[in-house]
Amino acid sequence: MTTAPWQTVPEVTAPRRTSPLVVLVHTITFRQARQVVPAAIPVVAAVGVDGPGVVVGLVLAVTALSLLFATLTWWRTTYADTPGAVVVTRGLLARSVRTVPNDRIRGVEVETPVLHRLFGLVRVRVDAAAGSMTGGDEEVVVDGLTRAEGDRLRTSVLTHRRAGVVTDPSAPPLPEEQPAEEELARFDPRWLLYAPLVASYLAVPLAAVGALSRLLQELPPGLRPDLTGPDLTDTRVLLTGLLLALLLLALGAVLGAAVVNWGFRLVRRGGSLVAVRGLLTRRHTELEVDRVRGGTLSEGLGMRLVRAARVGALVTGLGAANRRGQVLPLGPRAEAVRLLGVLVDDPGPLVAHPPAARRRRLARAIGSGLAVSAAGGLLVAGTGWWGLLAAGVVLTVLGVPLGLGRYAALGHVAGPRSFAVRSGLLVREQTVLQQRAVVGWQVRQSVFQRRAGLATVVACVGAGTGGYAAIDVAAADVGPFTEAASGSWATARGAGG
Amino acid sequence: MSAPPAPPVRVPAWSLSRSAIWLWVTQGVIGTLVYGVLVAVLVLGVPASTGGPLPVLRWLLPVLLAVYAVVAIGVRPWIRYRVHRWEVTEETVHALTGWLTRTWTLVPVARIQTVDVTRGVLQQLYGLASVAVLTASSQGTVRVPHLEVAVAHRVADDLARRAEQVRDEAT
Repeated sequence: MTTAPWQTVPEVTAPRRTSPLVVLVHTITFRQARQVVPAAIPVVAAVGVDGPGVVVGLVLAVTALSLLFATLTWWRTTYADTPGAVVVTRGLLARSVRTVPNDRIRGVEVETPVLHRLFGLVRVRVDAAAGSMTGGDEEVVVDGLTRAEGDRLRTSVLTHRRAGVVTDPSAPPLPEEQPAEEELARFDPRWLLYAPLVASYLAVPLAAVGALSRLLQELPPGLRPDLTGPDLTDTRVLLTGLLLALLLLALGAVLGAAVVNWGFRLVRRGGSLVAVRGLLTRRHTELEVDRVRGGTLSEGLGMRLVRAARVGALVTGLGAANRRGQVLPLGPRAEAVRLLGVLVDDPGPLVAHPPAARRRRLARAIGSGLAVSAAGGLLVAGTGWWGLLAAGVVLTVLGVPLGLGRYAALGHVAGPRSFAVRSGLLVREQTVLQQRAVVGWQVRQSVFQRRAGLATVVACVGAGTGGYAAIDVAAADVGPFTEAASGSWATARGAGG
Repeated sequence: MSAPPAPPVRVPAWSLSRSAIWLWVTQGVIGTLVYGVLVAVLVLGVPASTGGPLPVLRWLLPVLLAVYAVVAIGVRPWIRYRVHRWEVTEETVHALTGWLTRTWTLVPVARIQTVDVTRGVLQQLYGLASVAVLTASSQGTVRVPHLEVAVAHRVADDLARRAEQVRDEAT
């Protein structure tokens, strides 16, 4: 039952169980028992809940059930890290054996949620690349190891994998278990002050307020706090309230950012970049330098005001790249640029796109406004109602800065070993890629672009979103750019003419 | 803008099979029939006395249908055939597709991961097959539609063999 289906492996590590303490963690979080909740609801509804006795009994029953499920799951789950693969066996009645060959493993992540930390446990995620056909990535999770065992598993899997990759006998000997660390970045708590200007962190307190107000409405009237609304007609009260709300919002954003990013550290250890972050759940992510193909520097509208930015690495075959690829979650732009330089060579300053690109951005930005205005004009002629016309004019006027801003974001450049493209108004993203990252080019030209002598060039990459576009490049520049960015094959001016 | 603009990338040399035109015509006929049934149901099923925008739709929809039929059967297949090009060189696979918006795709043989040959129902009627050249990037796929079956298989075999020989470890 427990032999790994991996014949070529000389020695098979005996399958191990996770720490028994994980049973407690899963009992508390109702991890397995959650699945039976949908089935339990109609039963409870039929029996009816009245009196404290029934409630206590229900809670006890659910906890006992949870304990039972957690214990069974723990008992039936084993894992083994052999030199050739990681094997996880689970399943109560129907056994499932998942074997992830080492050459498909792309990374190992160790995370420590709060409860796990209380019991001294960790959760290990082994990231494996699925075939390119499905495009998805697989993930094998081993939940509830002791910290020491988690570290052992991580290093064991990673060293096995390297041993599998290096087949060249003349290659230098493998690095030692713990090579020297070089710290590349460390989170400065002052950077948390940028958080109120980042949309994703602002969403945290807003969501909390939403949940709170829902909860307040659900409460029975007797328990609802008796708040007499302040006198909103008084401008002073209104202003103070508004200011207070903004302050709370900012505070919430800072708190949210702190929970996710506290103690962020990026180090280079041997051939890997290791990122650690998180206040409650510590996340430990390892990226292989060999698989890094480039990086993205993104700046939101608010972040640009204070010159803040974030950097993500583009790594081939990395699942959940947005979360795991983070090399700098939030920080000053200068620091972001420096870290981007660690990932990939700086190709030089960006080249602006031709004036035709600005005309096209403007036309697209005011197009909808003009359409609404035209409809509004018809309406004025027909019924004399001018509301739509006014809205259309406002939209058109707003479209001008929008179009100009979008144009200002456009840029591309090809350097000696790397190239960069940039676009985006709300979130301006500059992606810098190594030459070897390119697995193909796609050039698109609509009818309008053809008339304006423009084209959109997409660098196809086996990392990140799969494609990075230079929008509205001058048509004549397409050939030189693709050739400079990826080598002579991309000119496509060879045989056949 | 005045001067007829040059294409941003060299146009590949080879055309598709001429049967592709008839396949696209067939698709246009099928599409027209489907929309025709829908329009007929709407025009005949809705009583003439209803108000709102329906009286306008009664003549607008058939007109739109006629325009669609002319474009999809009489114009688009020929434009498509003229636009679609493909070529396999020493180093690259190269395709140009589209009819209004044109898309060039260029992939080096060394980065090819898999080559697929697919035959749809209509394609089987006309003895055609499509070739898709896949890479590690979801966007870096070269699709050459509607080649003759023998050509498609020959190209796929040739590419798969060459990719095997020159494939580099990088993705």
